[in-house]
Amino acid sequence: MRADTEQEILKTELWWTALVIAIVTAIMLAIIYAGVVHHINPPSNIETIDPKTLHLTGEFTESNLGTRVEAGDQVTSRVVATQFAFQPQCIVVPSNRTVTLRFATPDVIHGILVTGTNVNTMIIPGYVSQVHTVFTKTGDLLMPCHEFCGLGHSQMWATVRVVPEDQFRPGPDGRASCDAR
Amino acid sequence: MKPAELREIDRPWRIWASVIIVSILAFSVVFGFLVLPIVQGRAAGLDAFTAICRAVGILPGSPAVKQPTSEAKAQPTTQVAWSTDLMRTFGRRTQAGAEIAQGCVACHGEHGIAADPQNPNLAGQSAAAIYKQLHDYKSGSRVHDVMTGIAQGLEDRQIVEVATHFASSARRDLDPTTAEVVDEDVIRLVERGDPSRGLPACNSCHGFNAGGPIETPTLSHQNREYLARQLQAFKTDARRNDIYTRMRSVAVKLTDREIERLATFYATTLSY
Ligand code: HEC
Ligand code: HEC
Ligand SMILES: [Cu+2]
Repeated sequence: MRADTEQEILKTELWWTALVIAIVTAIMLAIIYAGVVHHINPPSNIETIDPKTLHLTGEFTESNLGTRVEAGDQVTSRVVATQFAFQPQCIVVPSNRTVTLRFATPDVIHGILVTGTNVNTMIIPGYVSQVHTVFTKTGDLLMPCHEFCGLGHSQMWATVRVVPEDQFRPGPDGRASCDAR
Repeated sequence: MKPAELREIDRPWRIWASVIIVSILAFSVVFGFLVLPIVQGRAAGLDAFTAICRAVGILPGSPAVKQPTSEAKAQPTTQVAWSTDLMRTFGRRTQAGAEIAQGCVACHGEHGIAADPQNPNLAGQSAAAIYKQLHDYKSGSRVHDVMTGIAQGLEDRQIVEVATHFASSARRDLDPTTAEVVDEDVIRLVERGDPSRGLPACNSCHGFNAGGPIETPTLSHQNREYLARQLQAFKTDARRNDIYTRMRSVAVKLTDREIERLATFYATTLSY
């Protein structure tokens, strides 16, 4: 069909406008729903860290990564997102217990989500991204990088192994890793 | 039509467009700064006023939780930390660099191209890669009978000079009879990786201008025996100076056969 009168052009334009408005509205409603019902919000914990020396100082050195039970029985898991892998590539956490996940990156912006949970955050050079959560489902959950970080981005994923609380047995130093079980 | 008439036709559009935009803005402000903070703040135990102030940005968010300090040391990964100042020092080739390079001829060849394929070529390697490796030998992060001693004899400034020197030398020529030989399986690993094993493509880091880690060495035109030995070393944890297991995590997933074929590929095939 050729649209050659002013009327027909107007009609087509209005149809397309309506379609675009409908799509945008649907997306906005989904975001509002997530915000109100699932309490998804931007992180409020602002904590900086030097990305250049991340591997050299303190918390995010290679040997300090992974899950560890700390003072007050707090379970903390530290993960570094680097082009194009997570270190460690598998973390083990207990179910039905508050777990704190702390992420940092030495290179570029990454992002993570843990499938089937409300864990979803950006990982930005210079900042520590922290998430508190309770995993209710046990099993191996996939944690992909969801922010394009370079050519190897699509191969960048890790595993979150949620085990029942009674099977979560950290070693004497409080550490728990996927290999140990 | 006259401009006045056109403007008359436009008028309702202009008015309605403005009304719509202003109402969306008003809705967003009310929703984002009032409704959401109050709803979410209640769950976090914040009163409505504090929640709104935090959403608007007047009050700070939760203070950073003090983390238990860790005495974990970086050893033996590496002591190198990249900074723009350091990168800037890899400037132009100097006479001093050429003189230091004289001490490397015996093993790395006259122009940085080694005669013995067990030794790496340095010609055309990236300055950042040479710098990091020498620094790692010196600090003990990477260990080798000969290189450790040699690197310990070099000052930081000399490491920069010799790195710059070799980086600007011409690479080894490829044998034209093998340069075009293509091994499909290996090409797939090099260019696409293997998603089922979580194996990123080698060239997402090692490719020319790939944008991976700064210290990523160039592999093409390197010696086959040397490449295979390094991959085995990463695989068996004998070499562990790669920051955050970047190479170890890749190498453990490779079979011995793949290591051989990848080494052959980079040493012989014309790539990037
Ligand atoms: C006696 C022989 C010998 C001499 C002399 C020597 N090297 Fe080496 N070099 C080696 C060997 C062998 C290796 C491989 C070591 C390994 O497997 O870890 C190596 C590795 C290296 C590497 C790591 C290369 C890479 O791709 O990771 C660098 C950089 C290097 N040498 C620089 C130098 C410089 C600069 C000099 C001169 C100041 C020098 N070498 C002198 C034998 C030598
Ligand atoms: C995540 C980025 C990344 C990927 C993907 C990657 N590499 Fe590497 N590779 C590195 C880095 C970084 C180094 C230098 C390690 C260090 O800091 O000492 C390296 C070092 C090497 C070395 C030693 C070179 C030398 O001169 O000493 C070899 C060989 C190697 N890689 C082969 C491969 C192969 C083959 C693949 C694909 C199966 C691959 N790499 C995938 C980042 C990567
Ligand atoms: Cu990523």
